[in-house]
Amino acid sequence: MKRGYLGLWSILVLTFLLFITASSFDSINICGLELKTSGMYDRLTQVDEVNVADDTVQIDNDDTFKPQPIDTTAQNILFIGDSMLEGLSPRLAAYAKENGHKMNTVIWYSSTSNVWGECDTLKTFIRRFKPTYVFICLGANELFVKDIAKKRDKYVKTILSQIGDIPYLWIGPPNWKEDTGINDLIATNAKPGCFFLSNGMHFDRAKDGAHPTRSSAVQWMDSVVRWMPENCAHPIRLNIPQEKTAKPQRVVVLQPKR
Amino acid sequence: MQLQDIFSNLMELLSYDATAPMIFSSGLFWFLFILFMPIYAVLKNRRWQMLVFVVAFSLYFYYKSSGLFFLLLVCTSLLDWGLSRLLVKLKSKGAKKACVAISIITSLSILGYFKYANFFLWNWNQMVEGNFQPLDIILPVGISFYTFQSISYIVDVYKCRVAPTRTWLEYLFFLSFFPALVAGPIVRADYFLPQVEQNSRPKREEIYLGFWMIILGIIKKAIIADYISQYNDLIFSSPTGYSGFESLMGVIGYTMQIYCDFSGYSDMAIGIALIMGFKLSPNFKFPYKSKNLTEFWRRWHISLSSWLRDYLYIPLGGNRKGTTRTYVNNFLTMLIGGLWHGAAWKFVFWGAMHGVGLAVHKATKPLLDKIPNIYPVKILSWTITIVYVSLLWVFFRAESWTDSWLIIKNIFTNFSVAHIAPFLEVRYVWCVMMAVIILSHAMPRRWYDKMGEMFVNSNWLIKTLIFIIVVQFVIQFMSEDVAPFIYFQF
Repeated sequence: MKRGYLGLWSILVLTFLLFITASSFDSINICGLELKTSGMYDRLTQVDEVNVADDTVQIDNDDTFKPQPIDTTAQNILFIGDSMLEGLSPRLAAYAKENGHKMNTVIWYSSTSNVWGECDTLKTFIRRFKPTYVFICLGANELFVKDIAKKRDKYVKTILSQIGDIPYLWIGPPNWKEDTGINDLIATNAKPGCFFLSNGMHFDRAKDGAHPTRSSAVQWMDSVVRWMPENCAHPIRLNIPQEKTAKPQRVVVLQPKR
Repeated sequence: MQLQDIFSNLMELLSYDATAPMIFSSGLFWFLFILFMPIYAVLKNRRWQMLVFVVAFSLYFYYKSSGLFFLLLVCTSLLDWGLSRLLVKLKSKGAKKACVAISIITSLSILGYFKYANFFLWNWNQMVEGNFQPLDIILPVGISFYTFQSISYIVDVYKCRVAPTRTWLEYLFFLSFFPALVAGPIVRADYFLPQVEQNSRPKREEIYLGFWMIILGIIKKAIIADYISQYNDLIFSSPTGYSGFESLMGVIGYTMQIYCDFSGYSDMAIGIALIMGFKLSPNFKFPYKSKNLTEFWRRWHISLSSWLRDYLYIPLGGNRKGTTRTYVNNFLTMLIGGLWHGAAWKFVFWGAMHGVGLAVHKATKPLLDKIPNIYPVKILSWTITIVYVSLLWVFFRAESWTDSWLIIKNIFTNFSVAHIAPFLEVRYVWCVMMAVIILSHAMPRRWYDKMGEMFVNSNWLIKTLIFIIVVQFVIQFMSEDVAPFIYFQF
């Protein structure tokens, strides 16, 4: 090969090998700077096919779980989570408005269980908004973290301990391919009837391939609401709203952690 | 994990996926290019083997993006080449014209069916108040580009500007040349075919200059354009959901996004071709430095504007048939140029308004030329041009006519300086990206040349480090969400 080509080829090969090796790690930390990796390794080594169902998946709690009576009192809802709330929050706000609940939303973009679990942000917002019910949608940014049970278990536990005795429902991430264990991790830690598994649902995705479209997110929230009366540990009154979407009382946007 | 799984995943990656066309900024392309390069380097001096190899790679490249439509490209090329060979053998002018007409009509019919059938059916149904069901048509990627190449080839052969290629393989090489296949630049036969004939090996400097252009293209396309687009998309998806200042930023953002996106991709195409030893003409020359619309179209998507000039404007009569006809020709050319961008009335309007702008500039040029070319005048001219171009981008990008007007109206009726400080605070990365691209656009050309020269002459390690840093930036920003502003309307 001619020298010019050989030189360029070597640069490309070296770079490619470097990035494919780096992609076997979730992220690389250099002097406190977190470098993301490309996901090439996962793409090449994934085994399971995506499990796509056509409609809402009903999650059965264990046999001892009995449907609970619906709490018809007005709630003060706090909805926290990652960017998935962009689609879910307006729909839940419409339910809240229809049923006389108050609702506040905290969106932390690109957040994960360790982002929330490493700080007392959730506790701060609970103190501030004094919710009587907490909805969480978190996990989409950690679908493919390796050894997730080992790495993130304490953070999921911290999040749940910060919620304390307040009734809550954790809405699982909308998988676009099989996760490495985030759903199992949340399901294991959450109380019976406090976790809605979204994996297996069919979503129309936005251009990024990850977020459900706005209309699909509306259906997603509707599925959660339909699931609650029979399966949720603390179902609340959520009659179908007249409006498709509404504005929460307050939306707090937190920037991605760098 | 088993080798079998890796192999099966790799096969899946290499198969046609309508949702993931192969683009130059993807890891898959670079993986394939790494395999392609040593074979190409070895075959470069064996012309015929090189042609076969590159054609095979180009057709695979097209298959990966458009599936079996690569066969359409093969058939189009076969027909064009056959007609071009026939053209030179015919003596009668009428028969020659018939050959050209068959080729052009076939190419335009294919383009018309895939790109415009639903558009015309929709309009027809609007007129007759019918019940329109769109046809299930998939648009083959890059069809607009290679159709124009094929038309220019047959016309050039007819006009004796270029000799027809001796073999079909050479013509297929020209038409399917993968660096320019899916998004241009539109390659002209008279410029490209002599290079195929000559098949000269690129010098070391050219190889690394090509690499430098690829790096610039990646920065523009995969880092800047892809990142800033996330905010711009929010603005255009919710025209009244933001303050006037945010909408204004969205419009300026889209103006820079479309430039970075398109010129970045062109830079990568030109760079890859240069590495292979082929020169493609530049497609963008700092278009937002233009001080009038005529200059803008000499700097923006040059391969398209020069194609439209040579194969549409001049055949229509150009400026040879009087003033009124010149304006009409200009207007029609831009109108068709607008329609080339997409099958929708918004593109027609966008093209038409550029046509109007060009006509106004032409009409007032004698007067404008009398004004002294001093700095305040230059600044005013630049401002008028950039505002006009940016406003027209709103119509180009927005989903509908109503959305376009809502965004423009919002800028003027809902503007408050109070939104500037929180915007800068919340969207600092977006602002930094915009500052980088605006400053780099304002840089003199010679600075780029100097940087390119320094890169070419730098040692191997520096080049590798620069490339690694750029790729890491792509990965870093690839999945980064852009947070909606605090006034985002839920």
